[in-house]
Amino acid sequence: MALEISGQIIAGKTGQILAREKAGGEIEIGDLLVAEEDDGGYVILQAYELVYGSQVPQLVRELLAGMKLEGMGTNLDFLEPQLRNYVIAQIKALLRVCKNNELKIPKTLPKFFSTIRHVAEKDLLFLTKPGSPVYLGKVRSGSKVLDVDVYVNGKDMLTHHVLIPATTGRGKSNLVKVMLWSVLAQDCLGILVLDPHDEYYGRHGKGLKDHSAAKQSLLYYSTNPVAGTNTLVINLRSILPSHFQGIVEFTDPQHDAISLYYNRFRDQWIENIVRGTDIGDAVAPRTLEVLKRKFDNVLGVFIDDGGDFQCRSGVFSDTAGLATTREIAKALEDGKKVVIDTSRLLDEAELLIGSIISGGIFHRYQAYKSEGTLEEKPVVSVVIEEAPRVLGADVLAARGDNIYSTIAREGRKFKVGLIAITQLVSLIPRAILANMNTKIILGNELAAERQAVMESAAQDLSSDDRTIASLDKGEAIVSSNFTRFAVPIQIPLFEKYVEENLQPKEKNKTVFVG
Amino acid sequence: MFKFAHLADCHIGANRGPVLEKLELAAFNKAMDICMQETVDFVLISGDLFHANLPDMYVANEAVKKMKEVKDAGIPVYVIYGSHDYSPNGTSIIDILDSTGLIKKVVKGEDVDGKLRLGVFTDAKTGAKLVGISGRKAGLERNYFEILDRECLEKEQGFKIFAFHSAISELKPEFLAQMDSIPVSLLPKGFDYYASGHVHKRTESGFAGHERVVFPGALFGGYSRDLEDSAKGEKRGFYIVSFDEKVEEVKFMEVSVCDFGYFEYDVSDRNSMQAKKDLMEKLSKIEAENKITVVKIKGELSGGKTSDISSGEIRDLMKENGALDVIINRYGLTSKDYVSVKVVGEDVPAIENRLLRENIGAVKVSLEELKADKGAKLAQELLKVLRQEQKLNETKKDYVERIQKHALNTLGLGDEG
Amino acid sequence: MSAEVFKRIAEFLDSKIGEEDVGQPYFGNPGYETLPFPPASFVLIKDAEPKIRTAFVDGGNQEILGAPNFSAQINRIYFNIFKGRDRILPKSLPRRIEFYSATMSDFRNDEIFYDTRLFPLRVELEGLIPEDRHLSFSSVDRTVTLGTQRADIRHVASVARRFAEWEFAKHVIENELENGDLIVHDGSLQTSLTNEQTYMARALEAAMEKGVIFAGISKTSTLFTTTGLSLLGAVQKLAEDYKVNGPWCIPIARVANVQHNAFIYVVKLHESANYVFRYEIYGEQARRMSEEDFCCVTSALANNSKDLSFPGYPYGLIDADSFARVNGDEIDTYRVPLMSEISKLGKWKKISRHICSGDAHSVLDVLKG
Repeated sequence: MALEISGQIIAGKTGQILAREKAGGEIEIGDLLVAEEDDGGYVILQAYELVYGSQVPQLVRELLAGMKLEGMGTNLDFLEPQLRNYVIAQIKALLRVCKNNELKIPKTLPKFFSTIRHVAEKDLLFLTKPGSPVYLGKVRSGSKVLDVDVYVNGKDMLTHHVLIPATTGRGKSNLVKVMLWSVLAQDCLGILVLDPHDEYYGRHGKGLKDHSAAKQSLLYYSTNPVAGTNTLVINLRSILPSHFQGIVEFTDPQHDAISLYYNRFRDQWIENIVRGTDIGDAVAPRTLEVLKRKFDNVLGVFIDDGGDFQCRSGVFSDTAGLATTREIAKALEDGKKVVIDTSRLLDEAELLIGSIISGGIFHRYQAYKSEGTLEEKPVVSVVIEEAPRVLGADVLAARGDNIYSTIAREGRKFKVGLIAITQLVSLIPRAILANMNTKIILGNELAAERQAVMESAAQDLSSDDRTIASLDKGEAIVSSNFTRFAVPIQIPLFEKYVEENLQPKEKNKTVFVG
Repeated sequence: MFKFAHLADCHIGANRGPVLEKLELAAFNKAMDICMQETVDFVLISGDLFHANLPDMYVANEAVKKMKEVKDAGIPVYVIYGSHDYSPNGTSIIDILDSTGLIKKVVKGEDVDGKLRLGVFTDAKTGAKLVGISGRKAGLERNYFEILDRECLEKEQGFKIFAFHSAISELKPEFLAQMDSIPVSLLPKGFDYYASGHVHKRTESGFAGHERVVFPGALFGGYSRDLEDSAKGEKRGFYIVSFDEKVEEVKFMEVSVCDFGYFEYDVSDRNSMQAKKDLMEKLSKIEAENKITVVKIKGELSGGKTSDISSGEIRDLMKENGALDVIINRYGLTSKDYVSVKVVGEDVPAIENRLLRENIGAVKVSLEELKADKGAKLAQELLKVLRQEQKLNETKKDYVERIQKHALNTLGLGDEG
Repeated sequence: MSAEVFKRIAEFLDSKIGEEDVGQPYFGNPGYETLPFPPASFVLIKDAEPKIRTAFVDGGNQEILGAPNFSAQINRIYFNIFKGRDRILPKSLPRRIEFYSATMSDFRNDEIFYDTRLFPLRVELEGLIPEDRHLSFSSVDRTVTLGTQRADIRHVASVARRFAEWEFAKHVIENELENGDLIVHDGSLQTSLTNEQTYMARALEAAMEKGVIFAGISKTSTLFTTTGLSLLGAVQKLAEDYKVNGPWCIPIARVANVQHNAFIYVVKLHESANYVFRYEIYGEQARRMSEEDFCCVTSALANNSKDLSFPGYPYGLIDADSFARVNGDEIDTYRVPLMSEISKLGKWKKISRHICSGDAHSVLDVLKG
C-alpha cells in the first residue's frame, strides 16, 4: 500500500526546508518525514516549526476574522479553504539513506518539489540492535509511536558518559529504570546507582527487583533493607581523607589536622578525631572541635555519653561494614548493578559514599589499564542525580575537582563513566558537557537550559528549541555520538515495560537439608 | 537467670601435626570444662564442630569423650552443621552423635507453599527457643534464607535464639570481602540472640531488628591464617550468655592453650642468600620457647630462588629454640629471577579461589554453572572433596566409592536433590 | 495649512457628486438600448444549490525583454470549473497554457507595423492559441493607439493574450462543458481590436452550438448616468433607497452589433458585498432565456461569490486571476535565459543598443534605490 503523502517541499535552504502540509497531513513538531530520492534512496527529515501560510494577505485575514467575529460575515466563508490556508512546516534533513543502505549526513537539498510522507517502520530498518544493547524506547514521530525499538551500544554509551537533562516530572527516573532493566542481565556493564528517592529497587511496587536476573545481578543497599538485601553500612576505616575531596570543604588548618591524624592513626583517623584523641600541640583544640562537628554534620558520627561510637543515620560504623565497599566494587567489576538507597542521607553523605566507591573503582581500573588487563573488565558507570552538586561550575571552582568530575573528564580512558541526571544543565561547565557524548533530552520549559543542552549536543539541535519545549512526559530526544541522528523516542512506562518483559520465576520445591 | 555457651568453628580434626592436633583438642576440652564450671544450662555450637563430616577417628573419639562428660553433667549440647561437617545425606559425624543423643541437631524444616518453615526447638530447662539453619558448602544455605518464612518465626514468643553458620555481609572483615555471605536482612527479626559461626574472627554487633549478632570466632584455628591471627594477638574463645526473658550479659571466655610467637620478615632488596642469612640470624635470637611460632616471610627477592630459603631449616632452627610448632607463611614471597604466578591472597583457600577464577576462562564449557565464579567455586569444592584422605580401616574400594559419591553430590549429580 | 486644503477638496467633491437625481444609464451610443431604473427592475438573486457548472477563464501577460522596436512577453491563460463552491477537475484540457510572444516592428507600406509571433511552450498547445497572422497591427491602427501617438509596442504585444482568452474559452466550451453550463469571461463581451471579432465570434458560436451560456463580469467600469454619476455608484444608491436587501441584479441595457451583442446588467452577488459589477450575457442567449434560466445562471454565479476574501466577486475569477497573473518577480526567471541565449549568439550588443534607446526610467529607478 503506498504511503500517504503529508506534504510537498516548496522552498527553503539547508537546515530550513519549507514544506507545505497537505490538508489533513497532520504534520507535528518533531515529526519524522521521508522524501524519496530518484536513485532509490531517501532522506529522513524532521519538522521543527510550523507556521500558517495563506494565499490571502495577513491584513485581509485580520479583517475577515474581524468580520466573522463581529457577526458581519454571515453566509461567507473561505472557498477551497485547504487550498488557500494551510500550514508550512519548517523541516531539516537528518539523514540520507542510500539505496545500498549506507547512511550519510545529508549535504544536498532534497529534490525541489519532492513530496514528503510520514516515516514508516520500513524506513528505519537501519536502527538495529547493537552489542551490549541499552534499551531507550521506541522511535517517536511527533506524538506517534512507531514499533521500532531504539537501542544504543551500552559499552560505548556508558564509557562516553550520559547526560539526562529534564525538569521535574518529565520521566527521568522512569527512563533510567527502563535502561537499567534492559541491561540488568548483561555482565559487561557494571552500574552503580545513587538513589536519593529510593525508587529503583522497587520496595513498593514494581522495580528492578522483579527482573528474572535480579538475584544474580542486582544488589541493593539501604539503611532500611528489605529481606534479602544489604544494609548500607560503611566502616569508617574505609574512608580516606581523599574521599572528601570536592565534596566537603575543609580549611587549611583542618586539612593539616586531618593529615596528622591520618599519618598517626592510618585507617582509624576518623574514629580518633571523633573521639578527640589528643595528639599534642600540632592540632589546635578548636580545630579538632570543628572537625568533630563537621563529621557529625556530614557523617552523623559522634561519641555518646557512654563513650560509645554512634551514627545518626546508621550508615557509618566503627565495627560493621568493613567489607561493604570492597563487595560493591567487586560486584561492579563483575558487571552487576548496585543500587544504593540514599533517601535517608544528607547530600554530602550520599556523595561521599559515591565518592568512596567510584574512587575505588576508578583507581583500580587505572591499575588494570597499566597492567594491560582493562579490556577484560566490564564498563562501570555511576548514576548520579542532581549532577550540578558535583559537576557544577561554581562547586568545582570553590572546592576543586572531585571524583565525579575526574570521571567525567578522564573516565573514558579507563572504562568508567557517569550517567548524570540534572535539571540545570547550564550550571555544568562546557568542557564537561562536551565529554558527555550521549544526551537523552527530556522536556524542559526553561529556555536557558534548552540552549545549554542544544549547544553541547552531538548533532545540530539549533533549530529544536520548540521541539524540546514541547516534549511531553515520556518523550525524549537521544542525541548521541552513537546514533546516526538525534532520535526522537517514546520511553515506555516502566511498569508497563516490566509487564511485557517479565519472565516467570521458576518455583521448584525445595529439599531442605540441615 | 539462665546461661548458655555459644561456640563455633572448633574444627576438630583440622590440624594434622601432633602438636597442633593436641592443642586443638585441648582448646575444645578447655572450653567444655569452662562450660561445666560455669554451669551453663546448655551449649550451642554454631557449626564446624568438626573439620570434616567424617573426621579422623582418633580426634573424634577424644572430642566425644569430652562431650559425654558434658552430657553427664546435665548440659545438653545443641549443634547445627557447619560448612565443613555438613552432609547432604545425613551421614556426617554430627548425625551419628545426634543419633546417640550425645548432641542434638536443632535444625528441621519443610517447604510449605514455597516457603521454608523452620521447626522451633525448645530447651526444656530454660524454655529458650532455638531455631537454626545449618551451613552448607559454597554458601548454598543462602537459598534457604531466601525462602525462609521469617514472619512465622518473628511471631514466635519467648526467648529466641537463631543459630546459623554463614558470614554476614555487613560484618565481614575486609579481607573476606569475597567470601559468600548473607545480608543481615535475611535473618528473621526480633530474636534475642543470633548465634553465628563460620567467620573465624570474633565479632559482636547489632543492627536495628537484629540486636545481637555474635561470631565467637574459631576456638583454636583450622587454618594457618587463624594461627597467624592468634599469634598477632587475636583472642580465641567462646561466649557465655546470661539471660532471663532477655539477654542480660554476653561475656567472652578466653580459651588459651598455648603461647604464640609471631615474626615477620621482608626480603625486599636482598637476594636469597642474603635474606636467608639475615633471617636465620634474626630468628635465632627470638624467644620461641614453648610457643607456636608463626614466621611470615614476604617480599620480592632481588635474586636467587625462593626455595633457597628453606622452610625445613627454619623449622629446625625454631624447634631447636624450643618452639612447640612452627607455621611458616611464605605465600607472599617471590623472586625477581623468575616470573611466578602473581597471586594475591594470604591463605590457601583464598589463593586457590583466585587461581581458579583467573584460569577458568581458559576452559571452554557450555553450562553456566561451570563458568566464572560459580565454576571456580564448584571446582574448589570438588578439590576439597578429592583431597580427602583414606580413613583408617577404610578399604580402597570403599574409599574410592565414598570420594566418587561425595564428588558427584558436590557436582549436583548425585542422589542429593 | 494642508488640512484646510483637504477640507476644501472634500467639500468640492461632495458638492459635485449630487445623488439627489441619479439619472439614467448613459452609453453615448445609440446602438445601446438603455432600460430605465424603476425599483421593480431589481431582481433578487435566490440562494440555491447550483445545478449547473460554471467555468471561468482569465489571462495574464508581462514583458520579459523590450525595446521600442520589440517586445518579448510571457502569456498565460487559465481556466477553472466550479459547481457552486466545489471545484470540478478538467476532463482533458490543460488547466493552464503558457506561451511566449515576440512582437517586432517592421517598416513596410510606408508605415511601421508590429508583427507578433507566438512560441508555445509545448507543441500540443499550438491548436489552442491564436494564429500569428491575426496579430499584425499597424502602429497607427486606431484600435491600438492612445491618442494620436503611435501605438506602444508593448500594448500591441498584449493583444495576443486577449485573443488567446477568447480562443481558449472556445476550447473550454467544446471540451469541458455541457448544455446549460455557464462560462464567464473576465471583462465585457465586446471587442475593440482589429481581428478580435474573429476570436470572440468563434467562442460565442461554440457556446451557441453547445448550449453553454456565455457571460462576462467586468472588474472595472467607466459607465455613467445622465447626471454624470458613475453608473455602478448610482445603482447602489438606488438599491439603498429602495431597500433592496440580499444579492440582486438589475438590467441596464441591451446591445446587438457585431462588436457587442449582449444584455447588460449590474449585479451585486452577495448581500455583504461592497462592490457591484457590470455583468453581461451574450445577447442571442439572453433574448431566448426564460426567467427561470436566468435565475439559475445568475444564482450559480452568486453561489460562487461567497468567499470571505472578496464577498460578491466570483471565487472562480479570484482563482483564475491568481493563476493567470504573471508576477513581477517571475520575470527574471524568463529574462535571464533569454538574455543568455542572445549572448550565446553573440548578439547581445546589438540588442542592448535598442533596449537602451527606449526607456531610461529603469536607470533612475535603480539610482533612487
